Amino acid sequence: MNSMRQITRAAELQSLPLFRDFIKAACKGRADIDDQTCYDLQLAVDEACTNIITHGYAGMNPGSIILALELGRSQVVVNLTDFGHPFEPSRAPMPDVEAGLEDRPIGGFGLFFIYQTMDEIRYQTTEDGNCLTFIKLLSSSERA
Amino acid sequence: MFQYLRVKRQIEKVVPDTGALTQEQLTQDPGIPITLRQINALPENAKKRVYRSLLPPELLGFYGIDPITWNGANGEPAVQMVAEAQTGSLKISVARQGEPEDPFICIELSDNSFNGIDLNLLLLNDPDSPSFHTEVDEAGRPTLFGTARRNLTEELRAMQAGLAPAQVRKSLGASRLVLQQLDVFFSILGHRAYFLEPLTYASAWVFERRGFAYVRGHKLMDDIHKEFQPGGKLNQALDCSTPFRMPEQWNTVRGRAWAIQDGILEVLDEKWDKFRMVKQVGRHAGVETFPGAVY
Repeated sequence: MNSMRQITRAAELQSLPLFRDFIKAACKGRADIDDQTCYDLQLAVDEACTNIITHGYAGMNPGSIILALELGRSQVVVNLTDFGHPFEPSRAPMPDVEAGLEDRPIGGFGLFFIYQTMDEIRYQTTEDGNCLTFIKLLSSSERA
Repeated sequence: MFQYLRVKRQIEKVVPDTGALTQEQLTQDPGIPITLRQINALPENAKKRVYRSLLPPELLGFYGIDPITWNGANGEPAVQMVAEAQTGSLKISVARQGEPEDPFICIELSDNSFNGIDLNLLLLNDPDSPSFHTEVDEAGRPTLFGTARRNLTEELRAMQAGLAPAQVRKSLGASRLVLQQLDVFFSILGHRAYFLEPLTYASAWVFERRGFAYVRGHKLMDDIHKEFQPGGKLNQALDCSTPFRMPEQWNTVRGRAWAIQDGILEVLDEKWDKFRMVKQVGRHAGVETFPGAVY
C-alpha cells in the first residue's frame, strides 16, 4: 500500500527547511528507507525548490510549491508542483565536473546532484502548473 | 544515477478556441479540455445540458428550484444563463421569484489566454438575511465590490453585522458544495485546474480552506499573517484611525479583511491586487496562511 503525503508552502527560501523536515518525518519509521536515501531526497527537493524560487517565480509575487511524496514498497515518488514560469531541467546546462575549481562557474550543480541521485526525472508543464517528478528506487528493488 | 529524463510539454492539450463542438471532438481523447467558447457555440438546449452541471441540485432543491428545468415552484424560470455564441464567457445567476435583480447565486466563468478557465465571480448570498448597499456609493455609483469606490456608511453597518468586505448579505454557507460541483464541471470539460483572483483577504482564506493554492501571492499572505501578529507593522497600524482599523481586528479573518479593504497594506507598500489562486481538480492543496484562524 502506497502512502501519500503532501505539504504546500510559499515559494521562498524560508520554506526549504520545512520541506526538508517534511521529508525526514515521512521517511522516519520506514526501515527500508535508509539515511542516505532520505538525504538524497532532501537534497534533490532542496535543489529543485531553489530553482523554482529563484527562476520559476522570478519577477512575480511568489505563489505556492506543492510537495507530494508517495512512499511505495519499491520506490519513492516525489512530485513538486508550482505555478511560476516553466523551468525545464533538460535545458539547463550541465556543469563541467572535469574542470578545475578555478575554472568552474559558481552554482549550476543543483541539477547535477539531482541527476546523480535520482533514478528517474520527469517534467511536465501544462496550463494547470509545472510538475517535476523524481523517482528514487529503494535499495531492495535496485538489487532485484 | 538517473535512468530516464523525460521532458514532456503537453502541447497536444492546446485546443482551438473557435468553432462549435463536433461529435468528432467529443469522441476524441476525453483528456483534451473543452473551452467555454466551444460550448457557447452549441444550440441553447445543448449548452444548458452542459452548464446544468455547474449548480448543485441539492442547493436548487432547497430553494424549490427544479434542477432540470431551472424553474421555481411557480413554474417561472429561476435561473438565468448568459452564454453568448462567439464569446468565451458564462454567467449563471439564480434568483427567487420576483427578485430577478437580486440573485443569491451568481457564477461567472471565462476562458483565459492559457487554455484555462477563470472563475471571475462566485456570489453566494443568503437571500433571507438583511442586505447592505455596499455595492453602490452614496451617489448611487457602483463600487465594484469596494474596489473602485466605497460606501463607508454601508460598509460600517455591514462590518458591524458580521459581514466581510464585498458582501452585501450574509453568506449562503454553501461554498463547499458549490466548489465541489465546480470540480465536477471542470472534470467534465477536461480541465485539470481553474483559476481566480480573490476579491478580499476573507475570500482568499475561504478558497484556501476549499483547497486552492496560489499562483501569485502565497508569500504575501504569509507576510500579512506575520505582520498582523503583535509587534508587526500591520498590527501597529490598527491604530483606531478609522473604524476599520481597530486593535482587536488582528486576530480574525474578517477583522484583517476590513483593515485591508481600508488600505492598511500601504504600510507594507503593497495593495490587494497581486493575488491569483488555482484549484487543481480533485486535489486539496492544504494551504493555511492563517493557522488556527477565527473567522
